[in-house]
Amino acid sequence: MKLRYLRRGTQGLGILLGLFGITGIGMTHLIFPGLHCYACPLSVTVCPIGLLQNLVIAGSVPFYFLGAIALYGLALGRGWCGWFCPFGTVNDLLAFRKARFVRALSPLKILVLVGTVVAAWRLLDTWFCKLCPAASLTASLPYFAMGLAQPTTPFWIHMGTLAGTILGMVLISRFWCRYLCPMGALLSLFNRASFFGLRIRREKCTECKLCSRECPMGIDPYLEGNSSNCIKCGECVAACPNKALSLAFGFPGGSGFAPLRLFGARSRARGVSAHK
Amino acid sequence: MAFLFALLILAFGVQAQEIGLVPESPENLGDWAKVVQAFRLYPTLSRSVRYEGPTLATQLWGDLALGQARYALLLGVTPQNVAELYVDLDRDNRITAGEKLSGTRISGGIAWTVSLRAEPSGGEPYDYPLQILWPEGRGYLFLVGGAPRAGEFRGRRIALVDGDLDGVFGTKGDFLAVDVDGDGKIYAEPDGHERFSLTESFTLDGESFKVQVFPDGRRMRILPAPYTPPKVPLIPGSPAPDFTFREFRSGENLSLASFRGKVVLLDFWATWCPPCMASLPGLLELYEEFHAQGFEILGVSLDESAEDLRRVIESYGIKWPIAFEGKRWDNSIANLWRVYQIPTAYLLDKEGVIRFRDLEGDSLRKAILELLSEPVVSEAPPPAADLPEVAFRPEPILELRVPEEVGVQEGKVATVFVRLLNTSPYLAEEVRFSFPDLPQGWKAEVPAPFNIPAFGEREVQIRIRPGSSLEKSFSASVRLSVDYHYCINDACFQMSQEEKLAFVLGASSAQSPSLPWWILALVAAGVLLSWLLFGRTLTVLSLVLVGLGVAALVFGIFWGQARQAQRIASVLCTSCVGIEEAKAPVAEIPQALLSEFQDFPKRAHLLVFYTPWCKSCPYAKDLVAQIARVNTRISYDFIDADEKRTEAETYGVIRSGRAVVPAIVVRETGKILFGTEDLARRILAALKEIP
Repeated sequence: MKLRYLRRGTQGLGILLGLFGITGIGMTHLIFPGLHCYACPLSVTVCPIGLLQNLVIAGSVPFYFLGAIALYGLALGRGWCGWFCPFGTVNDLLAFRKARFVRALSPLKILVLVGTVVAAWRLLDTWFCKLCPAASLTASLPYFAMGLAQPTTPFWIHMGTLAGTILGMVLISRFWCRYLCPMGALLSLFNRASFFGLRIRREKCTECKLCSRECPMGIDPYLEGNSSNCIKCGECVAACPNKALSLAFGFPGGSGFAPLRLFGARSRARGVSAHK
Repeated sequence: MAFLFALLILAFGVQAQEIGLVPESPENLGDWAKVVQAFRLYPTLSRSVRYEGPTLATQLWGDLALGQARYALLLGVTPQNVAELYVDLDRDNRITAGEKLSGTRISGGIAWTVSLRAEPSGGEPYDYPLQILWPEGRGYLFLVGGAPRAGEFRGRRIALVDGDLDGVFGTKGDFLAVDVDGDGKIYAEPDGHERFSLTESFTLDGESFKVQVFPDGRRMRILPAPYTPPKVPLIPGSPAPDFTFREFRSGENLSLASFRGKVVLLDFWATWCPPCMASLPGLLELYEEFHAQGFEILGVSLDESAEDLRRVIESYGIKWPIAFEGKRWDNSIANLWRVYQIPTAYLLDKEGVIRFRDLEGDSLRKAILELLSEPVVSEAPPPAADLPEVAFRPEPILELRVPEEVGVQEGKVATVFVRLLNTSPYLAEEVRFSFPDLPQGWKAEVPAPFNIPAFGEREVQIRIRPGSSLEKSFSASVRLSVDYHYCINDACFQMSQEEKLAFVLGASSAQSPSLPWWILALVAAGVLLSWLLFGRTLTVLSLVLVGLGVAALVFGIFWGQARQAQRIASVLCTSCVGIEEAKAPVAEIPQALLSEFQDFPKRAHLLVFYTPWCKSCPYAKDLVAQIARVNTRISYDFIDADEKRTEAETYGVIRSGRAVVPAIVVRETGKILFGTEDLARRILAALKEIP
């Protein structure tokens, strides 16, 4: 329970950073470690996916962008999704049903990421931004409320994607993070190599699967912790009656930072029996 | 410098005449004597200056050099949100509360006036009056100055202006204004016939002269020069300079004079210039309507590609004669007419006299009608009207980075890596390189022209083959010139920037600033590998990845990409907001709606807020202009929301610090319309709300 309070606190910090413009500070050089639109009237940080598209259009070699993403990824991996990202928080708030994971659709987010980059490269436009539900929520709606955006076709497209995503979130917990988020896809690449992760004490695990029941991402944490779909939120840690799971900072690959999986493949980590 | 002058005096002592120049107020000379230059501010200063005044919430610094005198400028915003400007007047590297300038609020910003002391080397110090403008919320200032000085030579007024605001007269950018025709008024706008760069000669009553300027501008030496024909005036009332050209399609040789008896619109344009293309449909309409009555358009195309031009001519069905040389800005007619921005258009009457310049829309139509109704007479031309106000040239938008030194060896090709960063939201088009003063026998291979998108960056390689005889202590400083153009809204500008390249004799052929791609390649390889490794090897790999991530980040910051990211995010992402974007620059209003606008019985004034970076704004502007054309009771103003922020804020176009454009305000009711979807119908509905 304490872990969840802590997480709500850091998620609150994420929202605070997202809306830091209320202090009067203008746009900074910082890249936001989550999905948060820079067109949000109160945004002070650069949206990584918006920036990525603009860099592709501008033809820049993105050292600053990739350096920042690599460091974010190595620090927490997808922990940012679980602990910080404001749009992830919206997913959490609407997570009424923890539907089981539809595994086959999980690589969709990689496709979204690749599609975003290819669209920027070939069509020279920020196509993902035109559809992004995070932008709908934090840019389109505020501008509409201020009377500055009109109910035109692009606006209705935004509302459509937002409505679709919200419906998805209500039906499937963390719907956006599971299947569609390109930022999640970027961070998931670093998930195994990150210094923050789920630790399992195999000797304590009874494979009762209570953790699987609580996982908002619909994975089996006792088998697939730190896999590309693990957002390291710690819901499984709280659910484990034997305290076999914990969240900790440590060296990736160090003892207990397992199980280790390569996408769909079963765990090959030592000391973890994947099969009963 | 003094030695040089002594030599010159010896050489030309007999014929040279020295005149004294005294400071003159720009108001007595003309708008051209007020030089406007953007002045960037930075969060820190490159030298140590202490601020000892009251607390400021934000600080932006600038370093202003007037000759050898350097003044630190500090623009601060107090916690109470009041902008204040401090100048280190005593140059003691301390800015105290007493060095605050008192400013006055102007539309869209704040203005301060200050008199500084310029200290040109080789001259006496002198007072340098400056007006400093801050467009509110921006990271730069505008300096308005030029310290004009005036004197008299052979009964004509002559003025000298510090055109580059560096406090030293005689440097590049400074210019001379001479009342050549003796009419008491000096036409020294950028394309005026009485403006001369300091390397040009001017001609008075058949005699030509050139000048030698002293760095403090107190005196000027005027020397005879080989005869140079005077510049032809291009002001309303003067006869249009004639030229001949080969018509693009027919190949027929024509001259401007052959159109005598017709009202001629001489239009300088290009297919790559969006504002020119936006005005094409209007021209086609005018041509259809008035051609039979004796109206002719003569297009001078500054295109390079004949195919592009042909395609546009065919797709638009242009029927008027087109002059084309394929040399872009080097076009001989454009040079004769001193064209420095396009579109530029002159309207000539039936006598071949320039009558109007740069008219658009309704005013162009009225002027054509007026000129068509004039009888052909060969009497004196009508009195000259005032020239339209000429806007100052915008700033260069590219940042150039060249190596500090390039080593060259006899007979070996040296490679120079040049990095270009576009710091603006505009497209830099047809960027090309040249070396105006490459030593004799040297050859340079420059890349073919290319474009750099908004905020984009490019690295190019220029191969230099030095001459065969290089001395042991060889070193040369060579100018690298980068030419390009960019368009903002209704005008396209040619830009030329220069950087100095230092060549030295040495083994290292080039200090290549080539990008460390390998960092990114290693990060990618490491990420892939991390999905396969276990245990300690994964730990080691992760640590290596952290090192690579830090290296990429630091390199990116060093390379200016953090600023690039901030710039990108500072421009409102209309895709994100869902604001209708980029319609065609020309609006098509259904006939039924047009007649409803025509019958609208009340008076209305529309304010169209736009910004230079807005893609949909030309559409909104054109639409409103069309509406005003069909009903004279409806008037309008175009307002740049970036420039006139206060006004935009007052009308509610700027909220939360960002301008949302296009926005059309009905002044009578205060109703704001955003976006372009179904705009004509919404404007009509808003007009009907006027009581």
